[in-house]
Amino acid sequence: MSRSRIGNTLGCGAENGARRVTLNPKVARRSFLKLSAATAALTGAAMTTKMTRKASAAGKAAKEAHPGSTMVRSVCTHCAVGCGINAEVNNGVWIRQEIAQDHPVSRGGYCCKGASAIDMVTSEKRLKNPMKKVGGKWEKISWDQALDEISKKLTTIRENDGPDAVHLNGSAKVSTEMAYLQRKFAAFWGSNNVDHQARI
Amino acid sequence: MTNSLNDMRHAKSLIFIGSNAAEAHPISMQHILHAKEVNNAPIIVVDPRFTKLAAKASDFVRIRPGTDAAFMLGLINVIIQNGWQDKEFIETRVAGYEEMAVVAADYTPEAVEEITGIPASETVRIAKILATNRPTSLTWCMGGTQHHIGSSITRTFCILQLVLGNMGKSGGGTNIFRGHDNVQGATDMCVLSHSLPAYYGLSDGSWKHWCRVWDVDYDWMVSRFKEKKWMNAKGFTLSRWYEGVLQEEKIEQYTPLKAVIQWGCGSNSNSQYHRVKRALDMLDLYVIIDPFPTMAAAACESDNVYLLPCSSQYETSGSVTSTSRQIQWRHKIVDPIAGCKDDYEIMAELVKRLGFADKFYKNIKQVPEDITLELGRGSLTIGYNGQTPDRIKKHMANWHTFDIETLQAKGGPCDGEYYGMPWPCWTTEHPGTPILYDISKEVTKGGLPFRNRFGLEKKYDSSGRTENQLAAVGVANPGCEVQGGYPEFKDVVPGTNWKTDLSQKTLKEALRRGMAPFGNARARCVVWTFPDQVPIHREPLHTPRPDLIEKYPTYEDKPNHYRVHTRYKSEQKPDLVKEFPLVLTTGRMVEHMGGGAETRSNKYLSELQPEMYAEVNPMLANNMGIRDGEEIWIESPEGGKIRVKAKLTERVDEKTIFMPYHFGGVLMGRSLAGNYPKGHEPYVIGEAANVCTNYGYDIITQIQATKDGLCKVSKA
Repeated sequence: MSRSRIGNTLGCGAENGARRVTLNPKVARRSFLKLSAATAALTGAAMTTKMTRKASAAGKAAKEAHPGSTMVRSVCTHCAVGCGINAEVNNGVWIRQEIAQDHPVSRGGYCCKGASAIDMVTSEKRLKNPMKKVGGKWEKISWDQALDEISKKLTTIRENDGPDAVHLNGSAKVSTEMAYLQRKFAAFWGSNNVDHQARI
Repeated sequence: MTNSLNDMRHAKSLIFIGSNAAEAHPISMQHILHAKEVNNAPIIVVDPRFTKLAAKASDFVRIRPGTDAAFMLGLINVIIQNGWQDKEFIETRVAGYEEMAVVAADYTPEAVEEITGIPASETVRIAKILATNRPTSLTWCMGGTQHHIGSSITRTFCILQLVLGNMGKSGGGTNIFRGHDNVQGATDMCVLSHSLPAYYGLSDGSWKHWCRVWDVDYDWMVSRFKEKKWMNAKGFTLSRWYEGVLQEEKIEQYTPLKAVIQWGCGSNSNSQYHRVKRALDMLDLYVIIDPFPTMAAAACESDNVYLLPCSSQYETSGSVTSTSRQIQWRHKIVDPIAGCKDDYEIMAELVKRLGFADKFYKNIKQVPEDITLELGRGSLTIGYNGQTPDRIKKHMANWHTFDIETLQAKGGPCDGEYYGMPWPCWTTEHPGTPILYDISKEVTKGGLPFRNRFGLEKKYDSSGRTENQLAAVGVANPGCEVQGGYPEFKDVVPGTNWKTDLSQKTLKEALRRGMAPFGNARARCVVWTFPDQVPIHREPLHTPRPDLIEKYPTYEDKPNHYRVHTRYKSEQKPDLVKEFPLVLTTGRMVEHMGGGAETRSNKYLSELQPEMYAEVNPMLANNMGIRDGEEIWIESPEGGKIRVKAKLTERVDEKTIFMPYHFGGVLMGRSLAGNYPKGHEPYVIGEAANVCTNYGYDIITQIQATKDGLCKVSKA
């Protein structure tokens, strides 16, 4: 399956085609079935190597930090292994991701998800506005409008139907502090209707 | 995990059941393969499917989905019959062993073969490998839990390790690989409908404890609820919340659900997803808070949906707990991208508008550090109090000083401490507990006995025998004042115990005496509050072997199971297999994560795995005239029906269909691409496997049974 077919699957072929992924055309040309063959885990690893090689191909500059850059130690947001991430930040922009060779658990290892962590921030698919569906269409609204309307509706439901008419599906993808606030929020709201992915 | 990923380097054998670490936890493999290559440790993989982990194994055991408990009991039985059990460990640190052994005796290798499909000789052979290569590290994941007897299956894993004496030892342990990056931390904080943070439960005492931590009046807290009884009642769960909207099942609440907030949680990880979709359409208010729209935004086709773009976790900061119980500080890399707010800010804005900000943020000025301190102050049960933000950040800054083999810092500012101060970390001087229940170390240096949680003695229903629940004489950590079992600490500060003494004097007193605050007891094989006091096999609700229902029936129906009536016996229909002859199981792929909202919006990962598929055995496919790459329909007994490509492979046997569950954006043959906000549809969309996963929920936890349902397949 070629990439142009992916665009078709999305039902937005031309538009999508214009934003083709160019990471590794060799991989893209491979058929879907080959890709998901038993070596796909290794394919992920191979991509990592290629990304690294590409970076080093840029020469000495790639090895040295950009002037004025800082390196931030962080943690991958995918699985619970907890791999270290060294993020190079320049002028408030995450410009490069370096392996964390000296992290005691991951020791420089990344799977393909960890290797592409930067796209969590840079993906053009990220939402950048609160939105509301009106008449079946998405409308951009301000944060204040969104939060005001949501709070009013929640309060009305609470008054008419009681606090247990609201359910919160929280998250295993937020910090422990935020997870704690989610549970605390449900308590202060007045309901035990709160749960998250650990249940399943 | 009782041990850590790094500690698996010391295993002499490893057994994985319902875990595909090579794909789901790839970076753990360096430690696993170290054990294989350096210690010559056999790796045994038990799975219905020949996974990528199985490809790295020394021994692969193909098992019929949902029969793990039978196989484990079979191993336990063979071990006992041959006298391979760790007799000293059992006599001194285990309770209810005799009662358990009587149950396990029914699971002869031949009986196990009949249930699981594993040849009798294999059960004996695997038992011998485990007996002769100790310690064994045992790992399970959702393949072990997502069954209607998941809570029994996981107990058989633990009992096997107790029988072999592999608990509390380096290279041993029950090492559950957790899924999401902070599912351990979120579980510890109990974003769960049956407990307040740190597993305190929902009793009045628990509410009073947390009200003291929050510094709010208990009576005010009561006033927030409809009536006091709802404070103590378990709420709806992630597995079945939508029943509270649909009201097609009997629900036990005074009102249906009218509003749902979905905060950092992909909806398409729910089984029977076509029913979830119907519930979404009926809500008065649905709020999705996520960096990406998620499938929910496309699946919900009514109005009254709001999308709030929170930042990713790289644009905020806080602690995260890894599968090894290590707490790391996830430093903010960049500010939230334009237009987004981080989770803390969204919460603050909501709470302000809902009118309880003054009480909610009473102790919290600096975010997130003051939250870390507050949750630590209350989470004494699991020792989250010793890991202050300063200490966690110090570990991050010095992660290079920790030894790979022991995870202990060699010199430097963290000298002697264990990386991430694995909980319990009882005081701000404690180094963390790298291996749970390890009595070879002093408690102040990371040692721990088994917890005394279930009384001092017990008379068993099955045998009438009474047994002391405390550890035997002679079992104690070095430096302990008492050479043997002892109960949990209480009344050091009158009227409190080690869990509720916010002054933490009790914890300090226990440690001063070289003792564990929670006592020193035996690990129990009998749980007298569960329907199966000793775990047994019960046939999956939707079983391909109706002939086994009579001998291994499911439970009676359970009314009011987390506010929903739940069917067991009335759902176990012997004729179902005639129409739905194939077993459906699901799992992960390395390129995607969870419901895939993030990874399918990542251009690199989308390119690597661009399409949904189902694995079909060539024998089955050839008999049905299905060619590799052709589209097929997969249909569930609940009316879920999806159209996917067939991938012909012998990874699955001819009775089983496997699907990855990361895809979304297509619903029962219909593309929902146009339903996403324009430009925000993921790069890759596909049918959600969970449309076809079946009805079925664990009797204790209500985890959904997505690994052992039935389906039928036809050419599209």
